[in-house]
Amino acid sequence: MTAAEFFSCSLLAFGAPLAMFALTIANDPVRIIIMIAAAFFWLLSFLLSSMIWYAVVPLRSYLAFGMVFAILIQETFRFGVYLLLKRTESGLKEISENHEIGSNKAEIAYVSGFGFGAMSGAFAIINVLADSVGPGTLGLRHGSEYFFVTSASMTLCMTLLNTFWSVIFFNGVDNKSYLKILWVVGSHLVVSGLSLLNRKELYAATIIPSYIILVITLYIAFKCAGGSSKGFLQTFRART
Amino acid sequence: MISNISDAQWMVYNSSAGPYVAVVNTIVFNEVIEIFMQEPTNVAGILLYENATERPDFFSPETQCPNENSVGPDGKCAGDVVWNENGSGLLRRDIPFPIFFLPSSRISEIDKITQCHDRYNLDKDNQKGRPLCSLQLSSFMYAAVNTAVCLRRSATSIFGIAIKMCDPLGDYNVYSSLFPRPKETAKENKQVILVTARMDAASLFDGVAPGAASAVVGLVTLITTAATLSQMIPLSDAPLYNKNVLFTLFNGESYDYIGSQRVAYDISRGVWPPLSPITSKDINLHVELGQLGGSLNLFKDNPNWPLYAYAPYTYAIPPQVTEFLAEMSSYSQSNNMTIESEFSINLPPSSLHSFRKILSNATESGELPEILLVDHVGKFTNKFYQSALDDYESIGYTYHNITISNDGKFISTDDLISNGTMSENEAQVKVARVATSLAHTLYQQIVGTAYTGNISSSAHLVDEMLYCFLRSQACRLLVAADYYSNEDTPPDDRPAPLYVGVAAASTPAALYSGHLLALLTGTHLQVNRTACDKIGTPGFSYYYLRGWNHSGICIQTTMNFSQAISPAFIKPDYNITSAEFSTWTESVWLGLWARVFVRAAGVGARVAAAAGAFATILAAFTTYWLQRHASVIFLTPVADNGAIRSVNC
Repeated sequence: MTAAEFFSCSLLAFGAPLAMFALTIANDPVRIIIMIAAAFFWLLSFLLSSMIWYAVVPLRSYLAFGMVFAILIQETFRFGVYLLLKRTESGLKEISENHEIGSNKAEIAYVSGFGFGAMSGAFAIINVLADSVGPGTLGLRHGSEYFFVTSASMTLCMTLLNTFWSVIFFNGVDNKSYLKILWVVGSHLVVSGLSLLNRKELYAATIIPSYIILVITLYIAFKCAGGSSKGFLQTFRART
Repeated sequence: MISNISDAQWMVYNSSAGPYVAVVNTIVFNEVIEIFMQEPTNVAGILLYENATERPDFFSPETQCPNENSVGPDGKCAGDVVWNENGSGLLRRDIPFPIFFLPSSRISEIDKITQCHDRYNLDKDNQKGRPLCSLQLSSFMYAAVNTAVCLRRSATSIFGIAIKMCDPLGDYNVYSSLFPRPKETAKENKQVILVTARMDAASLFDGVAPGAASAVVGLVTLITTAATLSQMIPLSDAPLYNKNVLFTLFNGESYDYIGSQRVAYDISRGVWPPLSPITSKDINLHVELGQLGGSLNLFKDNPNWPLYAYAPYTYAIPPQVTEFLAEMSSYSQSNNMTIESEFSINLPPSSLHSFRKILSNATESGELPEILLVDHVGKFTNKFYQSALDDYESIGYTYHNITISNDGKFISTDDLISNGTMSENEAQVKVARVATSLAHTLYQQIVGTAYTGNISSSAHLVDEMLYCFLRSQACRLLVAADYYSNEDTPPDDRPAPLYVGVAAASTPAALYSGHLLALLTGTHLQVNRTACDKIGTPGFSYYYLRGWNHSGICIQTTMNFSQAISPAFIKPDYNITSAEFSTWTESVWLGLWARVFVRAAGVGARVAAAAGAFATILAAFTTYWLQRHASVIFLTPVADNGAIRSVNC
C-alpha cells in the first residue's frame, strides 16, 4: 500500500512539471542552462536562509520566523536571477542555436521560474516521499493519512507558483510595475503562511486557498506574458 | 489484541484484512495457540506478553515426553506416565510464524500497542480498506530443513566459499572432584561416586531461559553439597580413603542430553575426564540430581518437601543403591526431610538416560548403579518446565540479602531459623537440608562411618546462589568468583539465560558454575598472583579470583571444564540420521526487532494517483496547446520589444 502511495504522490508532485519540462524546455540546451542556473540560485537562497535559521538560536523552533526570512531571501535571489540573465543575455544568444531566445522576455522568465520552482519542489517533497515508502503511515500518535497527498499537492502548487511568479516578477521589474512585484511577494507569504496550518491538520484550509491563488497568479502571468484571453478562446474556435 | 478464544477464532476465520499479528498474554496463550497452529494462514506472528499480576496454571513449550528420542532402552513415556503433562511441544514443532515475548518489565510497550489498537482496530467488522494499527516482527533464520541439510550447505560450496548456516549446540560441562585425581595415582583405581546435575534450561525465546525448577535448584543443590562435603573432609585425608566423589554439571541437557551423551561416550572410549580417565567399572554409584524445585511452591506453607529417589531396578537391586538409599533416608529424616524410593525401570527425563543408552551394558547389569533424585513422582510437579515463566516466582523464592563476611563464612541454617531471619517453609532452607543430607550420605559412603560432626549446608549460601542464577548476575558470589584481573563492567542486573547456545560461543552458565565450585570447594592459598600462576601441583588447577574481600585470592581447585558437544559432531563416520546422538544445531540468525505503525488504507494513495494523473495530463495539454498556438495567444507586447536587448545580433 505504501509503495502505491509513494508512486502516486511522486506523480502528483512531479507529473505536471515533468510534462511542462519535456514540452517546453528539454528541446533547447540554453533553456536547460537557464533552468539549472535558476535552480542553483534557489539553492543558494536556501543555504542563506538555513544559515540565518541556524544562527538565530532562540527562534529556531518558530517555523514562521525562518519561513518569512526564507521567502524574502528567495525573492531577493529571484531578482538576482533577473539581473544575471539580463547581463548574460547577449552571451547566451551567442552560444544558442535559437537566436530568437530572449526576444520574448517572458520566455526566459518562465524557464528560470521553472528552475526555481523545480528545485524548491524537490526540496519540499523528497523527505516526505522517502518516508512514504513505508511500511507505516502517519497516525500512530497523531497525524492523518492524507498528509502525503496534501504535501504532494502543495509541492505541485509551489512549483507552478514559482514559475508564474518569476514571469510576473520579471515583467514587473521590466515595467517598473511595483504592484506586480508586491503581488508576488505578498502571495508567496500568504501561501507559505497557509501551509503553517498543515500542523493543525486543516488541509482543506491550506490547499483550496493556495490553488485559488495559483489560478489568479496563472492569469496574471498569462497577461504579463502578453497572452490575451480572446486569442486563447480563438484557438478553440478555430478548431471547431 | 487477543483476550479470549472468540477473539482468536475471529482472527483466524472471520477477519477481513489479515494476516494479523496476535498480541496475547501468557494467561490466554495456552488456549489460543492451538487455534493459530491449526490455521496459520491469517496469522503473521504472535507477540506474547507476560501478565505481571497473574500466572497461568501451566506453561511449558517442551513436549509431553522431553527428549524421548534419547532415552535408554526402557524409558517409555506413554499411557499413565506422561512426564510433562502440560507440554505444548512448541519447542519441537515447526511454528509457521514468529513468536515474540515481552517480559513484564517491558509492559509499557504493550500499553502503547493497546492505545494504537484501540484507536484504529476496534471496529472488527469493517477492517478492509481502512487505516489499521500494525505490528511488524522481524526474525530471519538462515538455516533451512534440518541439521543434515544445513551442515552440508555450510560445509560445501561450489564457489569454494562456505557460508555458515548453522552451528552445533554445545558448551562446556563442569566437573570437580573431592580429592585430586592426578595422572600418577590413576593406577590405584580409586572408585568414584558420580554426582551429577544439569545446568541448562531452554525456552522458546532468546535470552529468556530462567529454568528455576527445570535446572537451577538441582545445580545449586549440587554446588552446595560439594561445598559442604569439602568442609567435612579435609583434603589431607585423601590417602585414607579409597573412594572419591566426582561432581559433574552437564550442559545442553535440554537438547537431547548433549553434555551427558558426550561424557558417557567419552567414558566408553576412555577419555573422560581428560587427565585420568575413568571407565564404567570405576563408577561406584551414579547419583543424579534431577528435576528439583517444581513442588517447592506447592509446599510453600509448610516445612515439607517430599523427594523421590528413582532407581531403575525391579529385581537384583545393586547393594550400593540399597545402602545409599538407606543412608540418605536416615540423614533426611534427621534433617526433617522425607525421601521415598521409587523402583521403576521407567525413569523420568534425566541425564541418566544417556548413560543407560550409551553404556547400556554397564547400567543394565547393575555394574554402574544409578539413582535419580527428583521432587515428583510420575508427572512433573513443575508446571512451567523449560519455559520463560520458570523463574524465581515459580519456586516461591524471595531473596534475603544477608551480607557475606570477609572470610566467606556463611550463617548456618539453624542460626537463621532461630533468629527468625528465615522460616522452615522457605525454599532456601529446604534446598540446604537436601544438600546437607546428601553431603552427609556421601561422607558415610567415603569414610565408611556415620557423620557425627555439626557441619551442614547453609541456607544463607543457598539464598545467595539462587539469587545469582535467578535474579541477578551482579551478585556477591559471582563477583567474588570472578577473575581478579577482570576489569570488565559488571554483568547485567538480570539472570543469565541458561540456554546452552552454540558450541562456538560460550555462555555464562558454565563459567559461573565452574567458578562457584572452585571458590566454594577449593583451597584458598595466601599467595600473590605470580606465585599462584607458578604452582603446578598435579591434579589441581589454580585460579586467581577476586575472593570474598575482593583483594584477590589464589584458589587451588580440582574443578575443570570439558567439552559438551554432542558425539555426533566429533565421531568421524557418524550417520546423522541414525538418531544415536543429539544433533541439534542452531541456525545463524539476524537480529530480532519489532515495530508498531499505522498501515495506510490506500485512500491517500488513490487520491494522489488520480489527482496526479489529472494534473499531469492537464499540464501537458495546456502547455502543448499554448505552445502550438503561441502566435495567436501571445501578442508580443510592444513595451517589451528591445527593452533588454542591449545587443542585437
